[in-house]
Amino acid sequence: MIIRILLLLGLAAIGWFIFLRRNRLPFHLVTMFAMLAAGAVAVVIPQETDRIAQFVGVGRGADLIVYLAIVAVLFVLVHYFAKFVELEHKVTQLTRELAILRAEVERVVPPATAAAEPRATRPAPPPGEPDEPRAS
Amino acid sequence: MPARGYNDAVMHSDRHDTWVVIAAYNEGAVIHDVVAGVKRAGWSVIVVDDGSGDDTAVHARAAGVTVVRHAINLGQGAALQTGIDFALRRGAHHIVTFDADGQHAVDDIPVLIAALADADLALGSRFLGSVEGASRQRMMLLRTAVLMSNRMSGLKLTDAHCGLRAFRATVAPRLRMTQNRMAHASELLRKTKTSGVRVVEVPCTVRYTEHSKRKGQGGFQAVRILFDYFFRAS
Repeated sequence: MIIRILLLLGLAAIGWFIFLRRNRLPFHLVTMFAMLAAGAVAVVIPQETDRIAQFVGVGRGADLIVYLAIVAVLFVLVHYFAKFVELEHKVTQLTRELAILRAEVERVVPPATAAAEPRATRPAPPPGEPDEPRAS
Repeated sequence: MPARGYNDAVMHSDRHDTWVVIAAYNEGAVIHDVVAGVKRAGWSVIVVDDGSGDDTAVHARAAGVTVVRHAINLGQGAALQTGIDFALRRGAHHIVTFDADGQHAVDDIPVLIAALADADLALGSRFLGSVEGASRQRMMLLRTAVLMSNRMSGLKLTDAHCGLRAFRATVAPRLRMTQNRMAHASELLRKTKTSGVRVVEVPCTVRYTEHSKRKGQGGFQAVRILFDYFFRAS
């Protein structure tokens, strides 16, 4: 069946992707490949998933897989949202430090013509020479 | 009462220990006059330019105050906290938050500071004071916000999220805001309640101009604020 080929190709692609980024612990790699293998088994012999589904109280194996997949996707979603918020806090801290640091630096070396020219293109003072305090 | 005549009693030199934190985002049109007004009254001013796309920082610097600039736009909560951190580094005794759009009155600042004589945090209240230029819908929205805010924070206040506040530097660590956007106001009230900061409300005058109304918070934003409050809590 075509669908089996498509699903197996999809699993293989995920496996290849994980293999390429194998900078994790061997435990992670083994776990991921075990899950992929379980998925491949479910694709090749779907009747077996029916037995497991009946055992846990779900009618069809396909339904069981859908339910599990939804829970897994939600888990991943929550996990990444938490990561995202954490990252936001870090960006905030960095931006704050940078803003205050720049203000402290400009207290010593005032931006002479901040309005006239973009700050990024202003040439740095030659090394070794003491900065003349510019008129402010 | 300390509030009466306090304006005259405070010597100008004392005002340097009070830092007025102004968070500004694309306020180039009005920031100069707002900042100049506060500076003229003798307060120390720190403007936080929250990654504006316009010349807010230039106009604020032209008024002769220190400007710190966020390289990227983070939101009002983050900008205020940056200003508070800066003020603490400069040895602030009292910290005031003041909106950049010119809706607050500079004359309300000494009243807030006077209220800190026997409180840690003084909140400006539009409903104890007066509101100019607000539509009826806006007042309704604000009153609803007050009810919700009081339920959420457990405090009994007459106003919810007036941008004009003053607090002692000693309670700043307890009032540290982690909400980057507008939910910082609710966060501040929650931390006030849970950390036992002594809070008092002070009448203040809020004057909505066409400019401030355009930048103001609508009902739709309330949903986003609630989302931030509950799901971005840390």
